[in-house]
Amino acid sequence: MKELFPAKQVMGFVFSLILTAIALLVYFLDLSFTAGLTILVVTAFVQALLQLVVFMHAGETKDKWAIYGNVYFMILIAMITIFGTLFLFVWDM
Amino acid sequence: MNLEHSQPLEYSTKQNDLNIFGFWVFLGAEIMLFATLFTSYFVLENRTGSGPAGAEIFEITPVLIETLLLLTSSFVIGLGIHAMRLGKTKAMITFFAITLLLGLGFLGFEIFEFVHYVHIGAGLQTSAFTASLLTTLGTHGAHVTFGLFWGTAIILQVKKRGLTPETANKSFIFSLYWHFLDVVWIFIFSFIYLKGMM
Repeated sequence: MKELFPAKQVMGFVFSLILTAIALLVYFLDLSFTAGLTILVVTAFVQALLQLVVFMHAGETKDKWAIYGNVYFMILIAMITIFGTLFLFVWDM
Repeated sequence: MNLEHSQPLEYSTKQNDLNIFGFWVFLGAEIMLFATLFTSYFVLENRTGSGPAGAEIFEITPVLIETLLLLTSSFVIGLGIHAMRLGKTKAMITFFAITLLLGLGFLGFEIFEFVHYVHIGAGLQTSAFTASLLTTLGTHGAHVTFGLFWGTAIILQVKKRGLTPETANKSFIFSLYWHFLDVVWIFIFSFIYLKGMM
C-alpha cells in the first residue's frame, strides 16, 4: 500500500495545498491591491511549476529541453499577448 | 524510480515518445487559447454596464470546494500514473476512477455556479464582463467535460487490454491533459476569483 503513495508526490500535494492557503490570504486579509496581486502571481506560478515538474514529469526524458522549451516559449508568447494588450487597452500607454 | 536505467512503459517505443512530445506541443497551443481568454477577461472585467461586478457575484465557498476537488484529482491521477509504472493495473484503474469522480464533482459545482449566475442576472449577454467571465470558465469546464469522457474510455481500454505500451502511453497522455486543466484552474482561481474578491 505504501509504495502506491510516493513521498515526492505526497509532498507535492501538501505543498500545493499550502500554496492555495497562502493565496487565500488575499481574501481574508485586508491587503493593498499591489501586495495582494504580488502574492497571487507568486503562488500561481510556483503552483504551475510544481504541477509541471512533480506531476507532469516534464524533466524525466531525454527530450526534456524540447518539452521545457516549448512550454516556456508558449508562456512567453502568452505573457506578451496579455501584457501587450493591457498596455494598449487598459493602461493607456 | 527507475528512470535513469530503463524507460517506463509509456515511453517504450519511438512512436510513444513522439506521441507524448506531440501532446506537449498541443498543450502549448492550449496555453495560448487560455491566454487569449484571459486577455479579453482582463480588458473587459470592469465593463460591467448595468450588470453586477465580480465582487458582487463571486462566492468563496463553492470556488474553494471546486479548487480542492480539482487539486486533489490532479494528485490522484499522479498516483495513478505511479501505480501504472509499478505495473499495478488494478490500483491504477482505481486511482483513475477516483480522479474522474472528483472531476465530476467539480463539474457539478461549476454547473450549479452557472445556474446561480444566470438566476441572479449575470448571464452570457448581461455585460462584457459576464460574457468574458462565462466564456473563460465555460471553456475550462468544457475541457473538463471532454476529459471525463476521454478518461472513461481510457479506463475501459486498460480494463480490456491490460497495460501495453499503447494503453500506458494513452493513459500518460491523459494524465498530462488532466494536470494541465488543474494548472489552468489555478490561474482562474487566482486571477479571476481571488483578484475579483480582493
